[in-house]
Amino acid sequence: MADLAVEGRAVGERQEGFEPQVVGFLCNWCSYAGADLAGTSRLAYPTNLRVIRVMCSGRVDPEIMTEPFLHGADAVMVLGCHPGDCHYLSGNYQAEQRVRTVWMVLDHLGIDRGRLYLDWVSAAEGARFADMVSEFVERVKALGPAGGGPASKEGLSRDEFTFRAEVSRRVVAGERFRWLVGRNKALSEEGNVYGEKVSPEKAGALMQSVIADECVRAAIEVLAGEAPVSVRDIASRLGISAQIVLEQAAYLKRRGIIELYDVLGRSPRYVLAGARA
Amino acid sequence: MACETKCPGGKTVGAVLVVGGGIGGMQAALDLAGSGFFVYMVEARPAIGGTMAQLDKTFPTNDCSMCIMSPKLVECGRHLNIEVITNSTVEKVEGEAGDFTVTVVNRPRYVDPEKCTGCGVCAQHCPVGAARDTFNAGLGKRPSIYIDYPQAVPLAYVIDRDTCVGCGLCENMCLAGAIRYDDVPRERKISVGAIVLAPGFRAFDPSLRQEYGYGRYPNVVTSMEFERILSASGPYEGRVLRPSDGDIPEKIAFIQCVGSRDRAHGGRYCSSVCCMYATKEAVIAKEHAPGVQATIFYMDMRSYGKGFDAYVERAKKEYGVRYVRTRVAEVSEVPATHNLIVSFESEDGRVVKEEFDLVVLSVGLEAPEGAGRLAEVFGIQLDENGFARTDALDPLATTRPGVYVCGAMQGPKDIPETVTQASGAAGAAGALLGSARGTLVREKVYPPEKDLRGVGPRIGVFICHCGINIGGVVDVPAVVEYAKTLPNVVYAERNLYTCSQDTQKRIQEKIEEHGLTRVVVASCTPRTHEPLFQETIREAGLNHYLFAMANIRDQCSWVHMHEPEKATEKAKDLVRAAVAKAALLEPLERLPIEVKRSGLVIGGGLAGMIAALDLADQGFQAYLVEAGSELGGHLRRIHYTLGGDDVQAYLRELTARVVSNPLIEVHTSSEVMEIAGYLGNFRSRIVDRSQGNGEAGAIREIQLEHGVVIVATGAAEFRPSGFLYGEHPAVVTQSELEERLASGAWPLSRAKAQAGPCDEGRRLTLGDESGGRRSVVMIQCVGSRDDERSYCSRVCCSEAVKNAIRLKDVDPDADVYILYRDIRTYGGRETYFEEARRRGVVFVRYPEGQMPVVSRWGDAATGDGASARTGDSCGGGDSDGRLVVEVTDTLLDERLAIPADVVVLSAGIVPNEGNRRIAQVLKVPLDESGFFLEAHMKLRPVDFATEGVFLAGLAHAPKTIDETIAQAHAAAARACAVLASGAIATEGIKSEVMKSRCAGCGLCVEACQYKAIEIDPKDNVAKVNSALCKGCGLCAATCRCGAITLKGFTEEEILAEVSALC
Amino acid sequence: MQASTVQPRIGVYVCHCGLNIAGVVDVVAVRESASSLDGVVIARDNKYTCSEVGQKTIADDIREFGLDRVVIASCSPRLHEKTFRALLEKCGMNPFLLEMANIREQCSWVHSGDSEAATEKAKALVRSAVARARLLTPLLRSEGRVVPKVMVVGGGVAGISAALYLGNMGIKTYLVERQPSIGGHMAMLDKTFPTLDCSLCILSPKMVEVAENENIEVLSYSEVEKVEGQVGDFRVQVRRKARYVDEDKCVGCGDCAAKCPVRVPDEFNRSMGERKAIYIPFPQAIPPAYVIDAEHCRYLTQGKCRVCEKVCERGAVVFDQTDRVETIEVGAIVVATGFQPYDASKKPQYGYGRYPNVITSLDFERIICADGPTHGKLKRPGDQATPKRIAFIQCVGSRDEHRLDGAGAYCSRVCCMITAKQAFMIKEKYPDSEVYVYYTDMRTAGKGFEEFYQRGRGEGIVFVRGKPGEVREEEDGSLRITSEDLDSGCILDLSFDMVVLAVGLAPPEGLVELAQRLNLSRSADGFLLEGHPKLRPFETSIDGIFLAGCVQFPKDIPDSVAQAGGAAAAAAATCSRQKIEMDPLGPVIDEDLCIGCRLCEMLCPYGAIKVEKTDRGYKARSIEVACKGCGVCGASCSARAITMKHYSNDQIVAQTKALLEVS
Repeated sequence: MADLAVEGRAVGERQEGFEPQVVGFLCNWCSYAGADLAGTSRLAYPTNLRVIRVMCSGRVDPEIMTEPFLHGADAVMVLGCHPGDCHYLSGNYQAEQRVRTVWMVLDHLGIDRGRLYLDWVSAAEGARFADMVSEFVERVKALGPAGGGPASKEGLSRDEFTFRAEVSRRVVAGERFRWLVGRNKALSEEGNVYGEKVSPEKAGALMQSVIADECVRAAIEVLAGEAPVSVRDIASRLGISAQIVLEQAAYLKRRGIIELYDVLGRSPRYVLAGARA
Repeated sequence: MACETKCPGGKTVGAVLVVGGGIGGMQAALDLAGSGFFVYMVEARPAIGGTMAQLDKTFPTNDCSMCIMSPKLVECGRHLNIEVITNSTVEKVEGEAGDFTVTVVNRPRYVDPEKCTGCGVCAQHCPVGAARDTFNAGLGKRPSIYIDYPQAVPLAYVIDRDTCVGCGLCENMCLAGAIRYDDVPRERKISVGAIVLAPGFRAFDPSLRQEYGYGRYPNVVTSMEFERILSASGPYEGRVLRPSDGDIPEKIAFIQCVGSRDRAHGGRYCSSVCCMYATKEAVIAKEHAPGVQATIFYMDMRSYGKGFDAYVERAKKEYGVRYVRTRVAEVSEVPATHNLIVSFESEDGRVVKEEFDLVVLSVGLEAPEGAGRLAEVFGIQLDENGFARTDALDPLATTRPGVYVCGAMQGPKDIPETVTQASGAAGAAGALLGSARGTLVREKVYPPEKDLRGVGPRIGVFICHCGINIGGVVDVPAVVEYAKTLPNVVYAERNLYTCSQDTQKRIQEKIEEHGLTRVVVASCTPRTHEPLFQETIREAGLNHYLFAMANIRDQCSWVHMHEPEKATEKAKDLVRAAVAKAALLEPLERLPIEVKRSGLVIGGGLAGMIAALDLADQGFQAYLVEAGSELGGHLRRIHYTLGGDDVQAYLRELTARVVSNPLIEVHTSSEVMEIAGYLGNFRSRIVDRSQGNGEAGAIREIQLEHGVVIVATGAAEFRPSGFLYGEHPAVVTQSELEERLASGAWPLSRAKAQAGPCDEGRRLTLGDESGGRRSVVMIQCVGSRDDERSYCSRVCCSEAVKNAIRLKDVDPDADVYILYRDIRTYGGRETYFEEARRRGVVFVRYPEGQMPVVSRWGDAATGDGASARTGDSCGGGDSDGRLVVEVTDTLLDERLAIPADVVVLSAGIVPNEGNRRIAQVLKVPLDESGFFLEAHMKLRPVDFATEGVFLAGLAHAPKTIDETIAQAHAAAARACAVLASGAIATEGIKSEVMKSRCAGCGLCVEACQYKAIEIDPKDNVAKVNSALCKGCGLCAATCRCGAITLKGFTEEEILAEVSALC
Repeated sequence: MQASTVQPRIGVYVCHCGLNIAGVVDVVAVRESASSLDGVVIARDNKYTCSEVGQKTIADDIREFGLDRVVIASCSPRLHEKTFRALLEKCGMNPFLLEMANIREQCSWVHSGDSEAATEKAKALVRSAVARARLLTPLLRSEGRVVPKVMVVGGGVAGISAALYLGNMGIKTYLVERQPSIGGHMAMLDKTFPTLDCSLCILSPKMVEVAENENIEVLSYSEVEKVEGQVGDFRVQVRRKARYVDEDKCVGCGDCAAKCPVRVPDEFNRSMGERKAIYIPFPQAIPPAYVIDAEHCRYLTQGKCRVCEKVCERGAVVFDQTDRVETIEVGAIVVATGFQPYDASKKPQYGYGRYPNVITSLDFERIICADGPTHGKLKRPGDQATPKRIAFIQCVGSRDEHRLDGAGAYCSRVCCMITAKQAFMIKEKYPDSEVYVYYTDMRTAGKGFEEFYQRGRGEGIVFVRGKPGEVREEEDGSLRITSEDLDSGCILDLSFDMVVLAVGLAPPEGLVELAQRLNLSRSADGFLLEGHPKLRPFETSIDGIFLAGCVQFPKDIPDSVAQAGGAAAAAAATCSRQKIEMDPLGPVIDEDLCIGCRLCEMLCPYGAIKVEKTDRGYKARSIEVACKGCGVCGASCSARAITMKHYSNDQIVAQTKALLEVS
């Protein structure tokens, strides 16, 4: 669906009067403490960031990373301990894996990956935190409002942005995606069950193909949940080949996730299973 | 010759290697294993089943392919004497006939098939979806751990190492602990006496025919892809959708001969099956989507098989399938809609462009992948098309002794022919190894059954979690607790997999420990698992039939997964019903039937002689009864084959072998008057007139006892009426022509053949030695495919081509015309058709219903200008004996009058008059044309529904010599499987008649499909022949008096179940 | 976890924090906005919510309004969450029904320039906190056992002191030391400032006391390999390196060393002397047993010799000893692994390692020590001549802004006084020598320090403000230093016989690994991070693990001893508890959803989830006592079967939504 991305504005253009809403997920031990230190040190930064405290950046579920976009956030920050310093040993590595893959999903859906930010802040880096927030807010301002139409980098309307955000949320909530995200690092660093280290290219290609599949499936689910739709309806809505949609629709149908609603003309129309009144 | 060679070396190994686990391989394996040989079945794919498993329906019966095949699958998988070695290839073959050493390499499966229960949880969660689903012909993707199809045998998953990323999920989830990531290739050597090759075929790759756009246009699919689209187990669950957008196509075009009959791409041969499968797919598509309009673009409609023409007619009339005779030039796409424009030349010569929603390419059958390597490994030769080289007179033997071939590896063919050949190859292998029969097979020995008299029902209930298949939905512990409360239940437990090896042992231990007398298993479907559990309890000394099963998976947890509470309640109900039934179960006997080790072969033609020889070669007495005074039947009138073999020499040799064989008792001029008895124990009365050369006084009556009957009564050539046949000496049938060609009566001297154009009028008639170019006109379909005989006689096109070429051989200047409707030179015969054309034989197609008219020169009722192309220009007043054939040429759309010196009628094959009597004697059916009707068109082509009676040759339907030979071998093989067993265990579930209640009305006799009931004339009550009864229960349901009960499914038992459920 | 079906009754308390919050945020507006939120029964603003009055107000409200959730908008929860949880508990509420909004550190203090925006943000934070509060559920703390034993890691003066405090309190204590003897760096010093006490004279009685204390078990020549468990119940795997000498049999007679043919540079004497392959680090070593240096022992490296074995009458030499790993259970751990001197060779401009007469302050301690290689005579290593002109260069490896070459940006705190001491000792022993000290700032903050420094100045030690750029060696081995005197502005170009580099204190070797094993954080300087720089100076982020001495940060001996006392007291307090209550932040696994993929098991850093075979397939099971509540399992779970207690997706999503609501 990335090819659908409407031509956006030139990057870097300031949006006058645009105050982005940024949600931050900060780990309790390093980054939240760093944010507190910025406060203790009275280091000013913009008010756009609103923080949610979690115990570890490793707690930040990919679903939670994408959820804010559904509710009007323009950007999301995930901050954790520096590599090697994680209070929980390796949670930040997990966070990094997740953000990297969520970026792939956003790329695929034509949402600028700059709206999801990952960095490390230690408990001692109050100043760095303040600077980081200031810089990030500036960068988001340059991206423009999420779903801001021509005023945003992606050029997506609010509805379209929300639709894609919903698709991304479903994708990252999916079993296949989550399993591979969890295994990715080990596959390439420790090796797979055959004792081979999976090359980043191969792992990436697999992830890409899973994302491609899952995006279409999720989009079908969203659309079939709204109204009866045909394969061609879905394809034209997504701007992709109906052949690809058919393959995934057939998969969802076999799994009982969507069901036949009626046949309009020669086109079978589907709805989400159980949605048929 | 298949049966003449005995093993050269001293050693004969009583085992056979079958290569390929498709329908052919399975049939061969089952026949061999059934007749006392151990079988190793090596299959390259992870599961057996082959192409047939992928088909939705089969023609012409529209049977569900999987439904009819799966019993064979299951039997192969479970047969004590068949070892299925999947995911393996043969790497080396050493030794010679009778004693081969075969090296088999087993590719790693990464799943232990012994442990895998096929529950499928691994595949359900496998994150990789990269590989195209080969089973679905590449439509859709499959995970990296997969089985081809749910009924796969062995039902064990396999990891596709090419796409597997090695994430470890399957191992984590496998409750059975079956995943083996450290699996490695394994080599093993097996010792066999013979080899049957049945590797099947490879479909032509249509992307080589670029003009049809396959691979470029999404809506151009292959016939196999369409088959999967039609299949309920396919990617679209049987809904006819087109790949580009999932719309239901309205106009579907089938393009025939893609990769067949094509010099440039694919094979020059005809793939034999495409006309029929396209027709079938068109019909099924219409059934699935009533709006479909199917058009089949074909060159010749080759519906030559039994019942095929009728099927095509139905397709036309009932399903509105449109047939257009043309060769499609090109397919192009309308980009906006992905619709397709099919360009072709219409019959009237216009170039037509027609738009379709979907195009199906009827791809041809090619030699199997790696056939070259296969040939190398097995040391056999291939023919020019890459198929195994065989002899028309020995169609199952390859060029290496001891290595046989069947199915599409020998040449494209359909399922029944494959099955026939498979049985035949099994028979040939069995004949070779007869001396080693029974040396390597294993037999099951059971402990004596426990005496349960006076012991009430003590029921043990075993409830299966089936991994999480059941346990994930149904609260199994609760069901167990519930089961414990049921009457007569003395023990209940639950198992992770009740079907696993260790649980079998456990069930047996529990039978001992708790003195169980009945066992109930609540798990999956009895269709697949009942025999396993029956074996288990039998091994523990309980009668097979003291077992009941509750299907709480397929019919409970799998269909109510979203309602676990209700599913649990239902499972309890099902268990209660099974327990209620179990309490009433009684031990039933599986009576062994003693088998007379001899066979009666009716008919001494080619089929009969081959069958008799096979029986004898396998060590059984054969009685060969021939009505005529000489052996040979129809074969006596055939002199050479298409390939040029000397048929008469073959016949002489064959006859000599029959006559000299000590195990064959030949009765010529004899008739079977009566056959009584049943499978294994037939008694026949034969009237033999041979001694007195037909004089009445010398009639001898003979009583024979035999275990099997093979019907090979042959057929007759149609005696044409009209066409001046019998009135004019120059009008002959093909066999009459062949007779003359063979006897040297043709050609005649060619001394004066140098006549100018105007001499045409004085062309020679037969026997005239005055020279000049002769004109021979052959008329096809005389007595075939007409209102009286709707079937195609199958051989006539090839016969005509054969004789036409022979004519051209001996008389190159002769003008030979073949007037035809469809040229049905199927398979490799197509190349002879091509040769005939190349040699200048003129093929003129006449329209259906407008038979050419033969008249004496001058009598011709030529219309206006219709004679323009005849010899009129040369004056031609001379009409003594010269003929003219008038015909409408559909290509030119003109009426032609062709002068003919000789008119040859391709007379069809008609059933023997005597069939009806034999059918009555044997209580076997005839089809509507008067040929014998086999038990099942697809999978039991040489069996009758009546057990112990088999069928071969023209008595079954028109067929060629090689087909007859194969079928005769097959019938013999099937017969030998019965004879070899010595005794046959019958099913214990049988009908029983309460004499006191029976009114002798005979309704049950009518109802029984297996001829297992007769009215005993003594008491006028029905009598069940338990050897023949199959336990269907139809009689019990039909009986008006309630006199018949079906043991194992008594009314009492069923009512107990019902009341337990309600 | 779903919220109870009954509409929650929430009390919101917005803190002024004096003017800290109220000076920027319009707390009244925040309170008003909060009072209109769903479920909020009472909203108040208080001057100091954490004060007694503030707490009483909440307690009263809980009673009066029947509150079942409390939201406090004030400072960081890191500061006061515990306080307010305790309050809730006192009021009979479940402590986990508290939610805090951080409107001070992350609002008023950082947005003081924009009151309006800060107020809006505060409203959003409160809204979000209320949204989460609605979904909070009462949680029960789980209980863990307490093993009444402590392990002290590191046998320097801090570790020794901590062990003694603990042992004397009657608590079984394991003192683990990497070296063959306890004593640490203090054992190497000659004198201590400012009293000029003989270092070993004051340390060695304590070492003996350790050896004799029946509650203390010294595990010398040992290292911590792995730590599992949690406060009250740690399982520590200690590798006991093979000593090849039976500690109990060895009487320290030294016959073995006398006969040992292998000579090795003596690390105790900073390689300025030699020892044998079988040796005792220093005569007062505890345990007083010899040890075989396996790296150099001729028998262990070449397979023949065994002279020591032959001469040892007590048969104390045991060549077939091997390393063994012991698992020791303790309730608390004190980490006191000290420091290592900055490696001066990383500053090539000073020539340490190249110029024999450039030494470090620790080298100097050995040279000046009566037990040292020169028996206390000041001799320079290059030619054993007594140096007349000696220069000290301060801040080598400390206060290095660029933090190059492994140097710290921090001040090592003790070097000024060490130099003052050493210069004074030179002047005392060799009054006619000339001593120059090049310094950045003289830091003499400590009892009696400034006085000591002034005494030194009085003795004629020259203090030059300025950091020399380099030290050059002349042909005669003398050393030339050119430096600006920042006080006078003159360039000094002077030649010295010897230069002493006052090296800083760096984190000890292996601390990174140890921190990982103990799951401790390190601060930017590389030392271990204390629980709070002010209020929890010897605690760590891990309950039950405490810090003492220089492992936390450079400090002098009295500070180390004092911190050791604190750590010992805290560890003792832990061990005196009957049981440990643990925050119940672990996963809740929905077995209906769990597919048994094992991702959680594979990713859990603590082995706190195990997948088990059940009737319904493989299912993940949480091992509560091992869980630390990080949530990696929940965020990874492929089937989304795991809900994290107190940090559920529902709660976080509710927070997110509330944050983004347009107010």
